[in-house]
Amino acid sequence: MTSLSLRAASRATTSRAGTRRIRQWPGRVGWTVLGWVVAIAFFLPVLWMVITAFKPESAAETWPPKFAFSPTLSEFSSAFSNIGPFLTHSALATVGSTILVLLLGIPAAYALSVYPVRRWQDGLFFFISTKMLPIVAAIGPLYVIALHTHLLDSIWLLIILYTAMNLPLAIWMIRSFMLEVPNELLEAARLDGAGRIREMGSVILPIVLPGVVSTALICVIFAWNELFLAINLTTTNAATVPMFLVGGISTEGLFIAHLSAAATIASVPVIVVGWIAQRSLVRGLAMGAIK
Amino acid sequence: MANVKYVSATRVFGKDATPAVDALDLDVRDGEFMVLVGPSGSGKTTALRLLAGLEPIDSGRVEIGDRDVTDVPPKDRDIAMVFQNYALYPQKTVAENMAFALKMHGVPRDERDRRVREAARLLELDEQLLSRKPRQLSGGQRQRVAMGRAIVREPKVFLMDEPLSNLDAKLRVQTRSQIAELQRRLGVTTVYVTHDQVEAMTMGNRVAVLSQGRLQQCDTPRQLYDNPVNQFVAGFIGSPAMNLRTVPLTDGGVRVAGKVLPLPVAIRNAAAHADLKELVIGMRPEHLHLADGTGEVTGDVVLVEELGADALLHVRLPEGGNPIVARAEGRQPPTPGRQVSLHIRPEDVLAFHPETGARLAV
Amino acid sequence: MAVLDGVAAPARAARVRPRGASRRERWLRRLPLLPALIYVVVVTQAPFVVTVWYSFQSYFWDIPGGAHFTGLSNYSAVFTDPAFRGSLLRSVIMTASAVIGAMILGVLLAVLLDRKFFGRGMARTLIITPFLVMPAAAALIWAYPMLDANYGLVNFLLAPFGVNHVAWLSTQPLLSVIIVMIWQWTPFMTLIVLAGLQSQPPDTLEAAKVDGAGALATFRELTIPHLRPYIELGVLLGSIYLVNTFDAVRLMTNGGPGTATTNLPFFLYQKVDYAYDIGGAAAAGVVTVVLTIIVATLALRMFARVFRFEEARG
Repeated sequence: MTSLSLRAASRATTSRAGTRRIRQWPGRVGWTVLGWVVAIAFFLPVLWMVITAFKPESAAETWPPKFAFSPTLSEFSSAFSNIGPFLTHSALATVGSTILVLLLGIPAAYALSVYPVRRWQDGLFFFISTKMLPIVAAIGPLYVIALHTHLLDSIWLLIILYTAMNLPLAIWMIRSFMLEVPNELLEAARLDGAGRIREMGSVILPIVLPGVVSTALICVIFAWNELFLAINLTTTNAATVPMFLVGGISTEGLFIAHLSAAATIASVPVIVVGWIAQRSLVRGLAMGAIK
Repeated sequence: MANVKYVSATRVFGKDATPAVDALDLDVRDGEFMVLVGPSGSGKTTALRLLAGLEPIDSGRVEIGDRDVTDVPPKDRDIAMVFQNYALYPQKTVAENMAFALKMHGVPRDERDRRVREAARLLELDEQLLSRKPRQLSGGQRQRVAMGRAIVREPKVFLMDEPLSNLDAKLRVQTRSQIAELQRRLGVTTVYVTHDQVEAMTMGNRVAVLSQGRLQQCDTPRQLYDNPVNQFVAGFIGSPAMNLRTVPLTDGGVRVAGKVLPLPVAIRNAAAHADLKELVIGMRPEHLHLADGTGEVTGDVVLVEELGADALLHVRLPEGGNPIVARAEGRQPPTPGRQVSLHIRPEDVLAFHPETGARLAV
Repeated sequence: MAVLDGVAAPARAARVRPRGASRRERWLRRLPLLPALIYVVVVTQAPFVVTVWYSFQSYFWDIPGGAHFTGLSNYSAVFTDPAFRGSLLRSVIMTASAVIGAMILGVLLAVLLDRKFFGRGMARTLIITPFLVMPAAAALIWAYPMLDANYGLVNFLLAPFGVNHVAWLSTQPLLSVIIVMIWQWTPFMTLIVLAGLQSQPPDTLEAAKVDGAGALATFRELTIPHLRPYIELGVLLGSIYLVNTFDAVRLMTNGGPGTATTNLPFFLYQKVDYAYDIGGAAAAGVVTVVLTIIVATLALRMFARVFRFEEARG
């Protein structure tokens, strides 16, 4: 049982490990190049949108497309000056509906996950099936109902409808996060005397909070981006940001730079939020839905 | 069928960390059942994975059948491995699991079926199970499928990574002997990793004890038990564990429990030669016999563990410290609180260097 | 009940049935679910009921007199209307192409993102961006700065390959819309498949290595079967959303040229917004819903394993 002297061993080790690391390089470089080419290819339209937003109109519609130009904020400022009310309406509808979704959805998810009563598996099924029925099918009658209830062109209508739109998905996602809470934790809480509400509040919620956050983010994304209901059921008092974009198309004169600026302003909030909360979002979307 | 050699094999994780496996030199003979044993972190699993090719070797080399396989990928090493969590392919049936490797090597269908059925028979796996998926099997059945997957390959070496650790105690004992018997029958060189020294002692032809990446001793179970080469091996092998105690040297022996415990001349000379003032002595519980007052070690019984055939007495010595464990007859053991006197023959006392842990006067 | 030696044999214990939860307990368990349930039922089913009602009425927004009963005439109009059948067909084509395209790309991208490479996190951030972009914005950006015949970026990038100022929206309208759908939904598929890839137990992959499987064989024999439930989930969820695609159609081609890109949502929109035909839209809507239920039931039965309802707790 011999052992090499420490210095000799470490020298030999580094050289062998070193050669191994170097031999991995061509593969690594190859994947890196491929990965970045693909990433940029996917990101290109967004990049182009942002670049075009900084162009003066005259430089926006050229052939070949200009990559060098003197950037200007004129399109942004004109878009900004008009987009104000739209942003407010969108924010209200989005935040309002998301809050309502959480208020209704968390208890429902709790009921379905922690204490499922036998036949209420079907309840979950039902929620999912409502997601599958195209809301588009009821748009005419929805318009009529909205008219008669004086809710046409009102933020409240949007809040109500967006909540219904996002609730099934939110319940599904939050439920799957709640299922991850180990049973033993709940039993220990019950032994310690926690009633149902306390159990939910102090035991379950802290654990599923990241999941709830990512669910809320997804609801925010879908509500903010929604066009179909907005375009049919609102005109001026509740017009949302997507509507502003629709109005940005003009048949006369140049409008591309203006359009890009508007599109950039419209998309940036969600993109930035999505980037920051990326991990949470990915986990929620992929994991939450898997279970 | 082949021998296995580790020649100064080293594996380091990270640039300047302590090696997980440190210059391992080990020879496994053709057909031998070699057990790698040690506490967690000792490097035994890493050493196995070096042999499998699942970890790269940073220094030194590994040979299978006198062929240097250091740079050979796992699939060309002609080995088969049983993983700790079995690693069965979840979407394949039992039969497909066992036949997978053969399929990858281009073995024709009938030959595959024949070998699978034979392995199933050998492992007493019911024919019906062959068409089930792993999730429909019990833990013991899954373990056998994992073994079957390895056997079917008819490889040069079997590698087993703690295959029994996920079984319940009773099943473990049963399967242990089945594996040992199977290996004897097939005669394939086997390298087996476990943290359980009882498994190591009962199954291995030879056992290699590892600690912190270094090989401590490689010997037959009997030799490891009777002649441990250092304090670590002495304390690790044997259950209940050997009593190890640091005691001061005195004329004729060491001072224990206020009296002199005589030691053989060889040990006393070695201690003097190394200029020691104290030693670590090791006494196996079964070597400490109840004596009527004439024993070298006296103390109070604080706990009696009834094992049925024997009883283990935990005896606290007047100077304090951990109680000494002694084995006594099961019938009428002394009760807690009583004072007892234990006798041990000087030649049964092992002595270790208090700093290096090396055994004195081997 | 003590048993004494030599005395009579003990009477058999009465058959005991397991006690279920008390009635009050059961009600309490349902309670938190009720608000959400009632809300969804009211908000989604009420309009549907009204839709069914109106489907039997003749109700034109621009004709005075309100609605009056007209039996099944709306339905017969729907079934004989080639525009409806056409929009149905186009919906199927668009949805299927987009789902399949997005899933194939999704698997490829997931495999790519599963490898370690320099700047992988940043690359992933860029790749998921299309999903975050407002669909209306995406439609407009692709329609004008990207695909325009005269100044579009796409034509510029493809020029070296011999592509000469193609008017995408007018000559390849369906393709253009489908491209945007795929662009926006690939990240979704990628993330789901990536989750699947990362949930593969690493020791089965090692076992495959020892068993002699190369990279391709491992992918084929182990990874794809493992990914199946994830792919199915992605296809199911993606289809649900993609079948309702409206923004791209409305803003890129406005359903045209002619009816080349008119799918179901757009068809219904036109019925309401242009034809002011509430009755007709209602009937078409009911037919759509019935078809959706049929397809969904089939799909759910096929993908039943996706809904792995866990064991009841408590």
